[in-house]
Amino acid sequence: MTDLATMLWKEVVELVGNRRSLRIYVMAVLIMGLLPTLTRPRGMPPGIAAVMLLGYAVFSSVVVAAQAAPDLVLRERAGRTLETLLASRLSDAAIFGGKVIMAAVLGWSAALLTVAVQLIALHLRDAGAPWQWSYLALVQGRVVLLAGVPLLGVYLGTVGSFVAMRVGDQRPAYTVTMLSAGLLVLPVALHLVPLSLTPAGVAHAVAALAVVDLLLVALAVRFFRRSQLILFLQD
Amino acid sequence: MGEAAIVCRSVSRRFGTRTAVAELDLEIDRGSVFGLLGPNGSGKTTTVRLLLGLLSPHVGTVRVCGLDPVPDGERVRARTGVLFDQPGLYERLTAWQNLELAGRIARLDPAERRRRAEAGLRRVELWERRADRVSGFSKGMRQKLGIARALLAEPELLILDEPTSGLDPVNIKMLRDLLLGLAQEGGRTILLCTHHLDEAQRICDRVGILRNGRLVAVGTPEGLGNDGGVHAVRIHGRRLDVAAASDLALPAGAHLRLLEGDPPAARLECAGPQDVERVVAALVAAGAGLQAVVPERRSLEETYLAIVGGEAP
Repeated sequence: MTDLATMLWKEVVELVGNRRSLRIYVMAVLIMGLLPTLTRPRGMPPGIAAVMLLGYAVFSSVVVAAQAAPDLVLRERAGRTLETLLASRLSDAAIFGGKVIMAAVLGWSAALLTVAVQLIALHLRDAGAPWQWSYLALVQGRVVLLAGVPLLGVYLGTVGSFVAMRVGDQRPAYTVTMLSAGLLVLPVALHLVPLSLTPAGVAHAVAALAVVDLLLVALAVRFFRRSQLILFLQD
Repeated sequence: MGEAAIVCRSVSRRFGTRTAVAELDLEIDRGSVFGLLGPNGSGKTTTVRLLLGLLSPHVGTVRVCGLDPVPDGERVRARTGVLFDQPGLYERLTAWQNLELAGRIARLDPAERRRRAEAGLRRVELWERRADRVSGFSKGMRQKLGIARALLAEPELLILDEPTSGLDPVNIKMLRDLLLGLAQEGGRTILLCTHHLDEAQRICDRVGILRNGRLVAVGTPEGLGNDGGVHAVRIHGRRLDVAAASDLALPAGAHLRLLEGDPPAARLECAGPQDVERVVAALVAAGAGLQAVVPERRSLEETYLAIVGGEAP
């Protein structure tokens, strides 16, 4: 845990100086926070509006996490700091876990901030009306935001970090990570799994994502090897 | 000295069909400064990676501080400070934050981290720049900061892989003085991989020359020419021209050349002292009157060039 905390400390301090990542983060939050609120027709049924708003919050977390995960790794490769990390006493799990958790935390915080922006924008738009808690009033909304989004961040962080370790280029790594998010909705899109927005249906979907995360992280840790990474750096 | 800090026995490592390190036998005493020399692609960096457990050997055994770096990689790396030719510092972090990170990685408590970071920055004369981001540092400053970082955990073993590579002469001297200071402190084993032969000559207790992944010579910088490479002697005497006139039987690989000038002299290059004896005996038998046989001392650079055959260092 100490090593993981060290890696997270390093990622946070580095992020503060990374204008590009911060710009993407702020833009995702503002666009996903303001745009749907401003364009939402006033007469939209509350249920549909809630799903739409929640979708924007989730999407902002996907954009941020999918960008952050490869970026965290590729910056290390470009700056030759990855070799320094690999030559340190940090464990493989701490190096890899630090990247994944940081990407997940960034994605999750982006979703939470997007929600805050949405609520404030709604309140300002409907001046005088009581505060609207939108989808947060629903169990499904809270489950998605408090459990589903962090799990989605772990998924994207794992895929993004792992791909970036091997690909070595931002654009393809980002594209593959974004496409991997699409894989998650494939079973529903192919009607292999029925779409259910009931509390039980959403809870099952989040539980299934947790299982996928566990398997993916276990696989990634299994295949994250210093000896392999050194060869990639050598090439 | 005593116990060895690094022991490699018949170590080989391949990448595909290319052999990067071949049957490497190396022993570096604890507390000594060892220079690993060789042209680009000779296997120096692969050797460093094998020592750190970042690569595993295909054949042979490696021991660093008594540990096998493959299963005990974390423990080996915890006892080792490393600086590569690219120091791998975090550009967006300040000098202080880079050392802070190294201290956290070494699991030092906050007070000790601060104490060592300050001492390290003062030592490399970067204390005044501690709050500046590394992105604004020159290459020389980065290398100095890299050394401070490598030393922060007070490692038993310090590995410096081309630390002066790409530096201008002023920075090379500055960094060399720093390394010389480290070497003179003693108590720490230093493995210095370098292209700069004069650097190795000044700093190292012993040097080894790698060529095509093989360690072809090991010895002290002064003695390497006579101990590990080709022997050269100068022969003084009368009637040395018998060497040219008669069919003098020279041992394989030996070359005898008459030198111009007075008094007469000849230069003999051969594989070892036994060959010198044989040639001297042959010359005497052929009628030459020998007065003196003087071994030639060669510089490390001459020895290096003789061994690697003029490949760029």
